[in-house]
Amino acid sequence: MITSEYRQSATAVLKVNEVSKAFQYASPDSQTHVVLNRVSIDVKDGEFVTIVGPSGCGKSTLLNIIAGLESPDSGSILVKGERKVSTSRDRIVIFQEGALFPWLTVLENVEFGLKLAGVSLDKRRQAARHFVDTVQLSRFANSYIYQLSGGMKQRVAIARALAIDPDILLMDEPFAALDVQTRDLLHNQVLHLHETTKKTILFVTHNINEAVLLGDRVVVMSPRTGSIKKEFAISLPRPRDVGSPEMTVIKRQILNELEEDFHFARRETRTETIQ
Amino acid sequence: MNWKRTFTLLEEKHAQKQSSRRSFDISDAANIALFLAAFVGIWQLVFLLKIWPAYLMPSPAMVITEIGDLIENNSLPIGIGVTLARLAGGFAVSLGIGVGVGLAMVKFRGFGKTMSSFAVGLLTFPSIAWVPFSIIFFGFNDSAILFVVVMASVFSVIITTYSSIRNIPPIYLRAARNMGANGFALFRHVMIPAATPSLILGIRQAWSFAWHALIGAEMLITTLVGLGYILSVGRDINHMETIIATMITIFVIGIIFDRIIFRKIEERVRSRWGLDQHTE
Ligand SMILES: Nc1ncnc2c1ncn2[C@@H]1O[C@H](COP(=O)(O)OP(=O)(O)O)[C@@H](O)[C@H]1O
Ligand SMILES: [Mg+2]
Repeated sequence: MITSEYRQSATAVLKVNEVSKAFQYASPDSQTHVVLNRVSIDVKDGEFVTIVGPSGCGKSTLLNIIAGLESPDSGSILVKGERKVSTSRDRIVIFQEGALFPWLTVLENVEFGLKLAGVSLDKRRQAARHFVDTVQLSRFANSYIYQLSGGMKQRVAIARALAIDPDILLMDEPFAALDVQTRDLLHNQVLHLHETTKKTILFVTHNINEAVLLGDRVVVMSPRTGSIKKEFAISLPRPRDVGSPEMTVIKRQILNELEEDFHFARRETRTETIQ
Repeated sequence: MNWKRTFTLLEEKHAQKQSSRRSFDISDAANIALFLAAFVGIWQLVFLLKIWPAYLMPSPAMVITEIGDLIENNSLPIGIGVTLARLAGGFAVSLGIGVGVGLAMVKFRGFGKTMSSFAVGLLTFPSIAWVPFSIIFFGFNDSAILFVVVMASVFSVIITTYSSIRNIPPIYLRAARNMGANGFALFRHVMIPAATPSLILGIRQAWSFAWHALIGAEMLITTLVGLGYILSVGRDINHMETIIATMITIFVIGIIFDRIIFRKIEERVRSRWGLDQHTE
């Protein structure tokens, strides 16, 4: 477990400060559903943090708030000590799927952020080629998105984010829709990118294996309370073997945290049905 | 690195789906030729059977001669020119107003809601019913005809702009905003291209509304030029060859616009997006 001193460390490049968010339902009884409840995370420069939690626990909501795509009800987001209230090019999201533009080629997708920034055609083409190369898709530079497989699409999404050169990459279950082999390859590629670019990465997933395989630190979210339950620092060297005894122990601990919630949720629904 | 090689292997396997789609191939042409031959053959047969007198049912040859005459005395070329100019003018005004109003509806929610029920209501309004209003308001002139054309198509453009933009998958807008797109850049680089497949369909329909209304308006609002006017002259002088020759001209213009121009654009967009995979 992480001590509270670590959480308060001053070297954080990203500081999620007591963020809360509730959604109001448009139903007649107009209930509010608390999705995030005073969530705080500090991420150090160059750190690879994974956030794990079951579907619907608010991972995407948290990531969108960090990106500035949604606003929190309370709390704040600080990047390098500066408060952020809207999107900016220092935090780029890689979405689960479907976020590439089908009207553009691979190359044009990758240079999109640079075009918005007013970079000249020659320069941005050159940069885009470099990043398409980085994800080994040079041969598909002029293909349209529908011509790519799921894994290739996510590599384009990674290249598109890298081209903008953000400080922080926010990855929202980017490989959840892929088959196991492709996912393994992309895990290696992301780790390689992290090693070479030293980017700060916040990676959200519902997959415990993925979380422990990638993260320097795993943050476990609780769907019941909408808050962070526990954090696990993982100092094992990479590449990691999810089957190793050390990993099994960590995975077991994470699973326990999640199952506790699950049992609680089950009990709650049972009493509800009885009433 | 090992995984790099694996990627390359995966790519080899993932053969690029390059479609060799051609909208108009040899068998299409053959089908059309066959259909035309059958049509003209039956027409000729009906003529030869003399069920109706020649002044009611002229032969294909008579109509072709008439087309030649109408071209020679310049009435057909001028008619086509004037009608197409009116179409272009009226449709341009429709597009301008329709896209503008549609965008305003997206921007201002309340206005959008009210205006969309109003515009949908007017979509079902028969455009020819605008003619008496237009004649009294503008007189027998081009403005009156343009007004009817605009009224016939503008509501369709409004609705199509409004719904195409509102139906853009939110993920595109999120991704774009995340990369720094705002205001006009978001509109120009994301909203317009993202809405294009649906916009094209709607604009194609609006065009056909405009075209229908134009010919009707030209027949009823006499201005001494235009294909609709030639039709009404044919009726006044009881000259069936003129009427059929003009009808064929109108038909061909419709085909050229709809089948060739609009369909070409639509196919290009659809194939780029990979929207036609299920037809292969
Ligand atoms: N715009 C919204 N309006 C109402 N409820 C929402 C909205 N977005 C998300 N939610 C709800 O918030 C909860 C968390 O969603 P999300 O952040 O997408 O979870 P996750 O990404 O962990 O699967 C879910 O119960 C979801 O139904
Ligand atoms: Mg999610």
